[in-house]
Amino acid sequence: MRWRPIFNILGLLLFFLGLSMILPLAVALWYRDGSATAILNAMVATTAAGLGIHLGVRGHHMETIHHREGMAIVALGWTLVGLFGALPFFFDQGFHSFTDAFFESVSGFTTTGSSILNDIESVPRGLLFWRSFIQWLGGMGIIVLSVAILPFLGVGGMQLYKAEVPSPVPDKLKPRIRDTAMIMWKVYGLISAAEVVFLLLGGMSLYDALCHTFTTMPTGGFSTRNASVAAYGSAYIDGIITFFMLLAGVNFSLHYQFLRGRPLAFWRDPECRFFLAAVTLLTLAVTWDIWRTVYAGLGEALRYGLFQVVSILTTTGYVTADYEQWPAMSQLILLVCMFVGASAGSTGGGMKCLRIMLYFKYCYRELFSLVHPHAVTHVKIAGKRVPDKVMRAVMGFLALYLGIFVVASILLAGLGVDFTTSFAAVAATLGNIGPGFGTIGPVENFAHLPLPGKWLLIWCMLVGRLEIFTIIILLVPEFWRK
Amino acid sequence: MKIIIIGAGEVGFHIASHLAAENKDVVVIDKNPEATRRVADNIDVQVLVGSGSSPVTLEEAGIHSAEIVLAVTDSDEVNLVSCLVADIVSPGTKKLARIRDEHFDAYIEPLRQNAPHIDTVINPEVEVVKTIERMMTVPGAVDVGEFAEGRVKFVGVRLEENCPLAGKRMMDLPAVLDGRRLLIAAMLRQEELIIPRGADRLMAGDLVYFISEEHALGETMAIFGKRSEPVRRVMIVGGGRIGFRLAHRLEALGFQAKIVERRPERCQMLAECLNKTVVLHGDGSDQDLLTEENIQEVDLMVTLTSDEETNILSSLLAKRLGARKTITKINKFSYLPLMSAIGLDHVVSPRLSAINSILQHIRRGKILSAISLKGEQAEAMEAVALETSEIVGKPLRRIDFPKGSLVTAIIRGQEVIIPTGDSVIAPDDRIIIFARRQAIARVEKILAVKLEYF
Repeated sequence: MRWRPIFNILGLLLFFLGLSMILPLAVALWYRDGSATAILNAMVATTAAGLGIHLGVRGHHMETIHHREGMAIVALGWTLVGLFGALPFFFDQGFHSFTDAFFESVSGFTTTGSSILNDIESVPRGLLFWRSFIQWLGGMGIIVLSVAILPFLGVGGMQLYKAEVPSPVPDKLKPRIRDTAMIMWKVYGLISAAEVVFLLLGGMSLYDALCHTFTTMPTGGFSTRNASVAAYGSAYIDGIITFFMLLAGVNFSLHYQFLRGRPLAFWRDPECRFFLAAVTLLTLAVTWDIWRTVYAGLGEALRYGLFQVVSILTTTGYVTADYEQWPAMSQLILLVCMFVGASAGSTGGGMKCLRIMLYFKYCYRELFSLVHPHAVTHVKIAGKRVPDKVMRAVMGFLALYLGIFVVASILLAGLGVDFTTSFAAVAATLGNIGPGFGTIGPVENFAHLPLPGKWLLIWCMLVGRLEIFTIIILLVPEFWRK
Repeated sequence: MKIIIIGAGEVGFHIASHLAAENKDVVVIDKNPEATRRVADNIDVQVLVGSGSSPVTLEEAGIHSAEIVLAVTDSDEVNLVSCLVADIVSPGTKKLARIRDEHFDAYIEPLRQNAPHIDTVINPEVEVVKTIERMMTVPGAVDVGEFAEGRVKFVGVRLEENCPLAGKRMMDLPAVLDGRRLLIAAMLRQEELIIPRGADRLMAGDLVYFISEEHALGETMAIFGKRSEPVRRVMIVGGGRIGFRLAHRLEALGFQAKIVERRPERCQMLAECLNKTVVLHGDGSDQDLLTEENIQEVDLMVTLTSDEETNILSSLLAKRLGARKTITKINKFSYLPLMSAIGLDHVVSPRLSAINSILQHIRRGKILSAISLKGEQAEAMEAVALETSEIVGKPLRRIDFPKGSLVTAIIRGQEVIIPTGDSVIAPDDRIIIFARRQAIARVEKILAVKLEYF
């Protein structure tokens, strides 16, 4: 492992993170909400730390970064920004402990949206802005991660998307990431700008529109209101947010293709079709279930059903209804949504539609081989063969995901958390959704969980966000061998 | 008419012998002295040892006076280059090339427009797949050909013993048919081709060729008592180029197909390129495999491996295990007469297909298509009746058609006429003629322009 180039990049990352705190600082000063000092302190600390690390190892360029260094940068990078991003919360007196500040910050950068805040509206506006903004920054990281870095590293079968953004230099990370990142960030910025405009048209204040856009596009789910999106009680805003959550749940390279004048890009992509089919089917099922049992009108049932399915499936985690009051079938469907997640290459989390699709195809292939023992078959996507290597990576991913889910839920229950909350909290953090069931449901939060439990969930958020392998691999001794 | 044939393989050999029998001036070029000797020993044609892609050899063969160059070697590349060289040396010569690689499928038109200026690309594999497709669409038929863009079919069926037509004389047929129309063009009895006359009898076991309009086909087949259960499940043995093409085509047509292939790497490739077809790794003559894959439920078994003995054995085995129908690929013409003797009626041959396509381009006059029948003893030709030819304007019975030939259909615009002795051919009618090999040259002459016209 070559540490110096790694820290070179991490230092740079922290430096820019520190600089970006100028935005919440401006907001704090504008509203004179008293959080300016905390943010300024954090800003100075982060910038200084970043600059210090960067200068300390300067002179080492990143041309020679390969698989191992790549994984280390990803894993350490997210942890470090999580730590330093927590500083504004920590320096403000509103957050009780560093654990809580760290939890909130990691929940932001991993675009999870689980909160430990009991009363969001009492938090100064500058800090709330930072809380939303770090989700947007996290989303930027995720896009690069899932479109450029993970396909390159071949994590969890993501190399399927490798061919889509061809690189002239096949085994070097840098040129590929830079080019791809610039393109994807433009797309991300463009769609975000559109959402701000549409939310303003719906009567939201600029501050709320910005904060909600910052948490919709990365499928984060932090809101500036205690009641989340339900606080606005507007069908228009529900609709706009649903639409943009859907956009955020689709592979960003498809958006790019669409903007480049290929209107059928979405339809041609099998994963996108699967994702939209899942949204449609699950929404219909939930709507049918809650119509007449919870909501009198069909339109009303559809509005809340669609919003909640999209919100959970894209792993955003906004709420417009207390779905714990819904019948069991709807709750179970939402639980399944937590595991399925959004598309690969989107900002959403979960297992990803692509992997679920491949899993189904693999199962079918196994059954098929039982009927035709001599048959030669391949798992195919869009008529193209999926290499066995990718299939193995996908199967490994799914197994690890479920394995971690089981172990972490048992550990959480061991800390005295009740049955439903234990598995829901792990599912909601591992899938980067936000709210779960039980005592961390749509109208509750994570504040009451025991301290070690919070650390466990912080770890779950990072593991889920970084596609399991990048974090787990740090635990494998082979990784550290020279 | 002078024709240069490049490549003295099976296709080159048979075309040469065909054309020589019709007194055409043929030069056969091949690199291999063995092959040219075989040609020279058996056929009355000129041979030349040398490369067909060499301009010197082509000049030596007299390309400037040649009307047609046929490039039919086993290699697509040699055929292409030969045509290219021929195009440079003698741009006026018509060029026909056998090209089998599917990558060229989309480039046939550019090849005609651009440099090699190949007038006709002959792909026997495509022809074979088309033939199999036709056999599938006419269940019960042994041989199916098409004329007039498919509006008229010519069909060969095996006459069963329990068929009401068996044992009847031709002149008695109208009584049996009871108003239904049927024109029997030819019979094949013990490898002997008969162009029937009034007193000839239909015998059980005959292969009977008749002409029918497409829409009347079902009715006509019913006369012969043939079940017309449509084909649904197809098994293909041999995943070579033809097998792959066929599977691809069947997928497009919505049939359920299984394909058996022996080479594991080829199986991988097939599984990758085919989406609905079940690709099976194994031997087409492996009884366990066939049973495991429900051979008894299979409507059609097509054996297409490169080894004809394997094809024959697999087809026989499949029949025994309950497959309803088999189609066997045979390349050696010497096996063709054997096939009906061992009960395998449906045979396809890429070489025969290649010869058919080449023949129709060589025929004189206004011949549109020609199909050579089993064993090549006869041909069915579709031709335009020229105003100046002697067949136009008088009743058929007054035309002096050569012995062993028969006008089986007249196509006038959209109408298809099954002719009687009183029918009159009008100018620009298309006619379909059956002719034995010996009569072909004279039929061509009749179809061509009258001598006194000049």
